[in-house]
This record gives sequence, structure tokens and C-alpha cells, in this order.
Amino acid sequence: MVERPKHPTIRGFDESMAGKRAECDGGGQLPGTKFGVRHEFAGVLTGDYIDHGDPPWRWYLMRDLYLKPDAWGDEEVWCESQMLWLVEE
Amino acid sequence: MAKDPLRTPFCDTMDIEFPIIAFTHCKDVVAAVVNAGGFAVLGEAMHTPEEIEADINWIRSRVGDKPFGIDLVLPASAPGAETVEDILAKIPAEQQAFADQIKAKYDVPDPKSAEALHQWGGLNQEIARAQIDVILDTKVPVFVSGLGSPAFMIPAAHERGMKVFGLVGKARQAEREIASGVDVIIAQGYDAAGHTGNIGTFSVVGEVCAVAGDVPVIAAGGITTGKHLAAAICLGAQGVWTGTQWLACRESDVDMIMKEKLTQITADDTTYSKSVSGFPMRVTKCPWTEEWASKEAPKILPSPYQMLLSSSYTQAANDHRREDLMYDAAGQGVRFVTELKPARQIVFDMVEEALDTFEGITGAEG
Repeated sequence: MVERPKHPTIRGFDESMAGKRAECDGGGQLPGTKFGVRHEFAGVLTGDYIDHGDPPWRWYLMRDLYLKPDAWGDEEVWCESQMLWLVEE
Repeated sequence: MAKDPLRTPFCDTMDIEFPIIAFTHCKDVVAAVVNAGGFAVLGEAMHTPEEIEADINWIRSRVGDKPFGIDLVLPASAPGAETVEDILAKIPAEQQAFADQIKAKYDVPDPKSAEALHQWGGLNQEIARAQIDVILDTKVPVFVSGLGSPAFMIPAAHERGMKVFGLVGKARQAEREIASGVDVIIAQGYDAAGHTGNIGTFSVVGEVCAVAGDVPVIAAGGITTGKHLAAAICLGAQGVWTGTQWLACRESDVDMIMKEKLTQITADDTTYSKSVSGFPMRVTKCPWTEEWASKEAPKILPSPYQMLLSSSYTQAANDHRREDLMYDAAGQGVRFVTELKPARQIVFDMVEEALDTFEGITGAEG
């Protein structure tokens, strides 16, 4: 089997995104199952981000969630950048 | 001579005979559908990179140069890290007692093996990225992003001569994915099996076609017949994405008990229930879903607690092959899955019915 490289994770802060309201069409694999699940969130971006691997796969941290699934246990969510829509102030 | 309504540009692009995509978790079904002239996609979200590579090699050995796809569920949002033990410790006594009551009432045995919960919690980009590495290394003809945006990997896929399909539940997701360069958009409606978006198939397909421009749109959600295929073409789609009928085809590795159940039920026998995962999900009704829908049931827990509660029931039902307990995801088109047919026959029957439908409307032969 070919040895595959690990993907570095780089944390950063994007001031231009901090404090902005946004919506996220989120979701992912339901662990332990073959099913994917869609989640919708809306909240405020902190500006914190993670770039995963190369080319970078960017994720932003959202808090102050005013829309989240009933079943979402957390008070924050990491959102994939392409699934984020900034809400016009 | 009349134009063949099923010979869509998608067929030409993919070099396939029929605009029917089978989504399945069984590689035998992939081989059968591809060799029958359709297109098939293997769901590999639960598999390790090594298993994915082995499956790709196996399919290639059966279909030669014909195209096929691999589907992964890319995460689009993620909670903070938490271990399975942390989560188990937080399940409230009331809900645990109700789950135990269901087990006692229906004589649900213990599972024969431990529940598969190893991927719980945390950011899981590393898992997805390792899976994608295999997809790119093996130059699988088509990568399908079943959820989440594939934008970050599209240039790498195109450099390798691959195509990338994106499955969406809203028009704005389609616009974003088209801008990032996806080759095909699959618009999935609420009628589908499993966890879906909240827009119906007719509505979402129409909306996505309106914004897709030249990018082919494939319709998904509740599609099991040739009439559905004809309707999807009329909506502007260039093909259909189908799932439920392949669960019950002869080649499928789904338990025979579940296959037979699928041939006997209708849309009314499915339920959009939060009781399995905590999130609304379309599955066939079973004692677990019905008990949690009763007046006596406590509040359904948030994810991932509800999933942990249901996992023992699910695994026991499958391990012990208990027909009275088993369930599976199924779309609202399940009524028309009435026989255990070979995959090839399903493809041909859908095509024939679609052509008959067009002929009946226009009076012209396809």
C-alpha cells in the first residue's frame, strides 16, 4: 500500500470575517452509519479559521447560533467555507 | 425521425446509453448497472482508503473502461471534539429507560457485535481527505460529493481527467458548486430516502435547472419508475439519480428479509422520523420509530445522543435478522418496487416505460 501524506492543519484569524452574520448549509456523515445528514445554521462568525491540507480546505468558526437543528448539542459549529453565505447587514 | 428523449447530453458526455444513475452501497450492483448501459455510483463514506481502493479495482475488473463513480459525504459543518464515552455518559435516564422499555416490549436481543461508533465527534476533515486522496490517485472516472462542497478538490480532479458531480438540496448550493466548476449537479428533493433537504423533488429540480445554465442537472428523490424518469426529463433534468430500487435488486447485498419488505410497502409505510439519529430521516416504519412517535415517548434527544440510543436496537435487529424489527432508509417511490428483479431488468424496464410515456403524450415513437 502506498504511504499517503498527512494533511497539515493551519489555524488563523480573518479579521474581515469576524463579527459577520452568516448562514451555513451544513451537515456530514452520521458516524457509524452509511447516512449523510443536512444541517442548517445561522450565527456570527468569530473570524477563526482552519485551513486543512493543500490546496487548503477552509473552515470558519460560527458562534451565537440563532438557527441550528433541534438535535444539535453544541453552541458552536465549524462551517466549510463554500457552504457559508454572509447575511447582508 | 423523432429525437430520442432519453438520449440527453449527459449520456453523450458520459458515454452511456441511458440517463439512469444508480446509487448503491453494493459494488455488484454498480457492475450490473454499468454493464446494462446505465451509470452507477458506489457509496463509500463509511470505508477506509484501503477498502475504497480495493473496491475501485474490483469494479474496474468487472466493467473495463466504462465509467462509474464513487460517492463520499464531505463534511460541511462539524462540532467540537467529544469521545463516545463522553457522549454515553450524558444520555439522560428518562430516554435510556424508554429505550430499555422498547427492547423489553419487543424482545429485542443484545447485538452480536459492538456497534460501529468509532468515527464519533470532532472535525473529520482528515478522514475525508484521506478518502479523497485515493479517489484522486486511482483516477476514478467520477467523484460524487453526496454532501458538502467539492470545490477544494475540483482542480486536482480535472487535472487527472476526472469529472466531479455535486449533490445539492437547494438552488443556492447549486449556484456555488457550478461556480466552482462541478461537471454535473444532482438536485435531491425531500421525497428521497435518508436525511434529505426540505424542498420537494419537483420544486428543487425546477429551481436548480433554472440556475444551472449548460451544466447538466440530474433529478433525485422518490424516483423509481420510467414515468418518474420521463417527468424528470420534462422538468429539464438530463437524467435521474435513484436509490431505493437497487436495495431490492437481485445483486444487492441487502438482507433478503429487508428486500422482501421493500417490495410490500408504500410511501405511507415510510416515516420522516427523528428517532433514529435525532435528525429527520426517511426510513421504513418499525417498532422503534413508532414507539418514539407515541404520546408516552419522552423528548427525542439531540444528536449524537439519540443515535447512540438507537444503535443497539438497529444492530440487534440486523444481527439477529428480526423481520419485525428491521428497517432501512427508503424513498417515497418505494410503492413501485414490487419485485426482486436483476439490475439490468430494472434499467431496461425504466427505459421502456419512459419511452412509452413520451410516446403516449406525443404520439411519436422515441
